[in-house]
Amino acid sequence: MKMESWNRGNDKSFIKILYPKQDRGITFLKIDTTMWQYVPKIEKTIKIPSSMMMQSWMGSDFTNDDMAKESSIVEDYNPQLTAEDANKYTLTLLPKPDAPVVWGKIVMEVEKEHFIPLRAIYYDEEGGVQRILTYSGVKVYGSRYLPTVMTLIPQDKKSNKTVVTMDEVDFNALIEDERFTKNALIRYSR
Amino acid sequence: MILFKMAVRELLTHKKRSIVTLALSTFSTALFIFANALNNGSHNQIIRSSVEIYPGYMQITNRAFEDNPNFDNLIFDAANVTKILHKIDEINASAVRFEAYALYSTDEQSIGGMFTAIEPENEAHVSRLKRSLVEGEYLSRDDTNALYLGVELAKRLGVGVGDKLSFISTGADYSFAADNLVVKGLFKTKLYEFDNTAGFVNKGYFDEVMQSRNIATHIIMTPTDVKQIDTVTQKVQNALEADLEVKNYKTTLEDLILAMEIDTIFGYITLGIFFIVIFFVIGIFAFLSVYARIRQIGVLRAIGTTPKQVMRMLLIEAMILGCLSVGLGGAAGAYASHHYEKYPIEIASLVDVDAQEYAKQYNMVAEATFPAEFNPPRILMDMLIMMLLNLMTVLYPILLINRFTPTEAIRYV
Repeated sequence: MKMESWNRGNDKSFIKILYPKQDRGITFLKIDTTMWQYVPKIEKTIKIPSSMMMQSWMGSDFTNDDMAKESSIVEDYNPQLTAEDANKYTLTLLPKPDAPVVWGKIVMEVEKEHFIPLRAIYYDEEGGVQRILTYSGVKVYGSRYLPTVMTLIPQDKKSNKTVVTMDEVDFNALIEDERFTKNALIRYSR
Repeated sequence: MILFKMAVRELLTHKKRSIVTLALSTFSTALFIFANALNNGSHNQIIRSSVEIYPGYMQITNRAFEDNPNFDNLIFDAANVTKILHKIDEINASAVRFEAYALYSTDEQSIGGMFTAIEPENEAHVSRLKRSLVEGEYLSRDDTNALYLGVELAKRLGVGVGDKLSFISTGADYSFAADNLVVKGLFKTKLYEFDNTAGFVNKGYFDEVMQSRNIATHIIMTPTDVKQIDTVTQKVQNALEADLEVKNYKTTLEDLILAMEIDTIFGYITLGIFFIVIFFVIGIFAFLSVYARIRQIGVLRAIGTTPKQVMRMLLIEAMILGCLSVGLGGAAGAYASHHYEKYPIEIASLVDVDAQEYAKQYNMVAEATFPAEFNPPRILMDMLIMMLLNLMTVLYPILLINRFTPTEAIRYV
């Protein structure tokens, strides 16, 4: 699958599917924690309800929640530095008492020099590892260091793997406000 | 014979006493049989409804599907499995299903629910889906884009028969699937949670949009004889590949069956209390009636009647009353069981309020009718228990009375 994505901060994002052919033109809009999807085949804009947030996104191992970032690792979790070595910090993120999240714990490893995420291990409430997200392919964009490859392996389906590779990244690009409206779902679908 | 004649004469002489004992025992027998029949009948109905509405008597799944119900653990050659099933005489009907999850969407609402493919004609033989139609039409094998929807889900989506809605889902190959649907029919099964989440389409159409040709999550079967279900389950299992698993309703509805068994135990405890009360009432009556005749028994002993003969005479009396009352009560109980098996008791008002809430909470069928079970062997067993109970009630008075010497008995005031 190939897609384009436009983001403004953490609150607004727009995704357009380019490939495969049968899915071309499917668009997603996320504003704050709300997500819509436009499906050209049925000419319909669908709001993704909260109950569907943990469902698979486009058949991948990522969930709608991952795409919408409905739950935020900054706002919904309390971080704790649990280990440190010469190259990386290990943070344990525990959900805040009333946070609407599904993970019981997230353990994140962050590279020390440029604060680049290396790995995130997601645990369920019983303490079992559910999935492991690995970051790699760090590229430099001006003063930014960005891992351009994300590999997600669900632990209940270890034969599965979803790899997201960022081919091109453009920071500080001018994005028109209209991009983050529901009308854009249809307009930019073509 | 003389003892029998004496017993009969004694019963006829004290008609009032005999009639009261007879009536008490007859009523108890009838009530006991009917209470048992109603208890068993209701349990059978709840289990039957829960099985037949959707889960089915027997099912085949991929062995790994229960622990990991994803699209990697499916039945990947459903046609071959169906072919094998056709060769097994003990299987009366079978139907292929593909259960998926979809987001149903109208202009106003988007709600997640079950999105299941069925073979409409075969499905009608393994579940009550077709019979649960309340509006519009059931599915047919040529349908495309036609949705058979639970009434409660339809209410939440705000759609009725003829209305359009869309779905998005993930296909069997994990591809993105979406299409527009038209509501063809609405069903109501009385299983609230099911009516609130389920939608069905024709499998031929589903296979096109969900890339699931010849693939199934479940194959549901009905055995020719439900009583032989464990044997048939094993036979089907032996005929299939090892990666497929056959289960019957005793496993798939294990919790419900356990709940019914627990309820049966509580029913027996209630009946046990009932037994104790009846035992004491009849026992006291027997005790008083024997003690009222202590002087008469003293005379009989004085003219040469042995304690054993006295015991036999009193047992014959109890036997005569017992046979009559158990016979009459048994007939009345059997008639009531038979009648209410054919014409179940209806308590619609109860179902409208409390029972529906209870059923919603426990995802059980909210039954408005309570049938009895007419089961002759069980009725005969209940009659035998009541007969023994009748005989036991006179044992203690007999033992007490035989302790008296003839002189003590004659002088007893």
